[in-house]
Amino acid sequence: MKCLRLVTGAVVGAVVSAGLVAGAQAAEYPTKQIELIVPYAAGGGTDLVARAFADAANRHLPKAIGVVNKTGGAGAVGLTEIMAARPDGYKVGMGTVEITMLPHLGLARFTVEDFTPIARLNAEPSAVTVNADAPWQTIEEFLAHAKANPGKVRIGNSGTGAIWHLAAEAMAKKAEVSFNHVPYDGANPAVTALLGNHIEAVTVSPAEVSSHVAAGKLRILAVMDEKRSATFPNVPTLTEKGIDVTVATWRGIVVPKRTPKDVVETLRSTARAAADEASFREQLQKMNLTHAYADSDAFKAVMEKDNAFFKELMTELGIAQ
Amino acid sequence: MFEFNLLLEGARTLMGQPMALLLALMGVALGIVIGAMPGLTATMGVAILLPFTFGMDPLSGLLMICGVFFGGIYGGSVTAILLKIPGTPAAAATAMDGYALTRQGKAGLALGTAVFSSFLGGTGSVLVLIFMAPILASFALKFSASESFALAVFGLSIIASISGKSVIKGLIAGFLGLLLATVGLDPMGGFPRYTGGYTELFAVPFIPVMIGLFAAAEAFKAMEDPEVRGGIATALGRIIPPWRVYRRMLPTVGRSAGLGVAIGMIPGAGADIAAFVAYNEAKRFSKTPETYGKGEPNAVAACEAGANGCTGGALLTMLTLGIPGDAVTAVMLGALTLQGLQPGPLLFQDHAGLVFTLFAGMLFCYVAMLVVGLGSLRFMGRILQMPKSVLTPTILALCIVGTYALNNSLFDVGIMLAAGVVGYFMQKWDFPASPVVLALIMGPMAEANFRRALSLSDGGLDFLYTRPITVGLLTAAAITLVLPLARRWLAVRSAARVRQDGRQPNGKGAAFDPAASRE
Repeated sequence: MKCLRLVTGAVVGAVVSAGLVAGAQAAEYPTKQIELIVPYAAGGGTDLVARAFADAANRHLPKAIGVVNKTGGAGAVGLTEIMAARPDGYKVGMGTVEITMLPHLGLARFTVEDFTPIARLNAEPSAVTVNADAPWQTIEEFLAHAKANPGKVRIGNSGTGAIWHLAAEAMAKKAEVSFNHVPYDGANPAVTALLGNHIEAVTVSPAEVSSHVAAGKLRILAVMDEKRSATFPNVPTLTEKGIDVTVATWRGIVVPKRTPKDVVETLRSTARAAADEASFREQLQKMNLTHAYADSDAFKAVMEKDNAFFKELMTELGIAQ
Repeated sequence: MFEFNLLLEGARTLMGQPMALLLALMGVALGIVIGAMPGLTATMGVAILLPFTFGMDPLSGLLMICGVFFGGIYGGSVTAILLKIPGTPAAAATAMDGYALTRQGKAGLALGTAVFSSFLGGTGSVLVLIFMAPILASFALKFSASESFALAVFGLSIIASISGKSVIKGLIAGFLGLLLATVGLDPMGGFPRYTGGYTELFAVPFIPVMIGLFAAAEAFKAMEDPEVRGGIATALGRIIPPWRVYRRMLPTVGRSAGLGVAIGMIPGAGADIAAFVAYNEAKRFSKTPETYGKGEPNAVAACEAGANGCTGGALLTMLTLGIPGDAVTAVMLGALTLQGLQPGPLLFQDHAGLVFTLFAGMLFCYVAMLVVGLGSLRFMGRILQMPKSVLTPTILALCIVGTYALNNSLFDVGIMLAAGVVGYFMQKWDFPASPVVLALIMGPMAEANFRRALSLSDGGLDFLYTRPITVGLLTAAAITLVLPLARRWLAVRSAARVRQDGRQPNGKGAAFDPAASRE
């Protein structure tokens, strides 16, 4: 009897303590290093945001965040890895707008529903930029020229089906004009071609042309944002001009769906605190990037809106699979 | 002389910053190590270092990055010469003659030549950057899609001169490379081609293929040979090339450095293309082109001066126009921006003092590279004395680790090993590996730019003959293809005449044996 009670006691004790340990573990998340997967190469914009975030977040976490670059497939390789990761919060990812684009192109196994958004950190709108020598001073003049010369105005983008190509397509659709879209291997080569007057315009972000605008080589005609850019307050938005188009790229922290609620909560409050750090804001500003923190609910709304928008646009263009 | 005074002032400021000098020196040493490892390229070295420079002052941070950049470009040649493992794509060109010299027991000569010509090519290009930047800057903007296409075609034509013994086999290898280059996302439409559903194959995994073809294939071949201390010579030989050998190289170095600067300035073209083009031109101007590919110190000098000449050219357009000339300077653009220095025409006005101190620092980096490079040669040469039973597994392990580190991808490791097996059989049957690498670099560049040029001209083909730079480059490509054939024809004819006359042939044709070249 005594023996049995002892055994029962031991078992109960073990179960209870195991339960306690488990509970403590969840509360103590993280107990080991967190991997932050970046789907683009080291040294690029997305990577720099991720590293600045990791630095700021490390002040609010007992364990460090390590940045790992998984490049390839226009972001598909890294994003797939985040999607397929064990949902325990030890592998989180730097999600980009491509989450809402690649699935419709038939280039990815994931969809937007495979990710739980934690926080958006940065967003950059598209901007219509022309060479400073170009005759068009305003967006109206530019669009009037495009209307008079259908299919002749060449707009450089960062690749077919990529964000800046779709921005130009969305503008063409709303303004009822047609452009000749020329894909380049990234935004930088497209800007170079514009500087050399080989194309008429680009639709990349203001950050990617700001140094040339400051030097008087290029001119921004309009931004595709809800409000004017803080860096270029004199540049109108397309919406102001009666063309209702807003297209922006964004970067933010995401985790695989089915990640436990308490882990999501911990990451959410950490991300909020990290995004608020002065050092993080300063780093973004130095890189000409816009601080655009949005909590998980607002971030989720952006993702869903973009997903529907790109699906419709790509289907209309005939590039959706 | 305005620039000269600014440079002197910059040098004086630099001397007062021992920490910056120390970090530059560390950067160079680190760069050489990174460059020498297969898979770790100069681009990656700079990208990894970037976050560490956030906290440094602008001068120290940027000089350390420059050090890694310069060291990395040179470092790739060390393992290329000693072990036929190109640490960087540019060193694939160096490996051809560098390794041949090692097999002849002249590894020291090859390494010494590489250090000296890297130093001269790099220093020359930095001097061009300092004194001629404003004059040359607009050159890069003249390059549109049609010019890049023509450059890529010129690059592909070089296959004819790096094919070694058999042009046919070289062409077969080149076409194999072109076929491989079609795998991935279509550069214009974005549709996946031959990817079999693998997202990893959306871009041609070019560096793993290169590591496999060169390094892994060499390791597999070494396993075949039961000898412990294998066939390659263990002697290093003398390191500093004798003056008479070096004097012969100087014109080659000068020409190659110039080519390197020009190619470095072209957006999207970097050290790898420069090294191959420099090799081709050195061979074209050489009095003894038949020695190329069999251990010609001039070839090593050309590749290294060309690759390092690129650094100044790429920095030139990046600093003056804000346009990165290659992948490394694209990352450096971010580094400058982070330090609050916006590259572009305003940089020289707003921060002239810092810019010229930086230039002085770049010259220091190249001197540091010469010192570290020469100082480490005896030590590096010890690799040759390692028993093969240790060296071969080490090489394979390095290949695997280096490939994995590139993208953190096991898939790439598989590709590298597969390429190694293919490379082993190519070596066995005398197919050269460098045309595959060249085709992998140039093929996608040619395709994307040809289709982009078509799109820019609204479908018209007139860009092929109306643009002077395009016409010039396409002509150069035609000459490169025809010249070896013409030479052979002349040689055959003079040999026939010799047989007729029963006389000894005179001069140039003597070393050429048409029978041997046909196998």
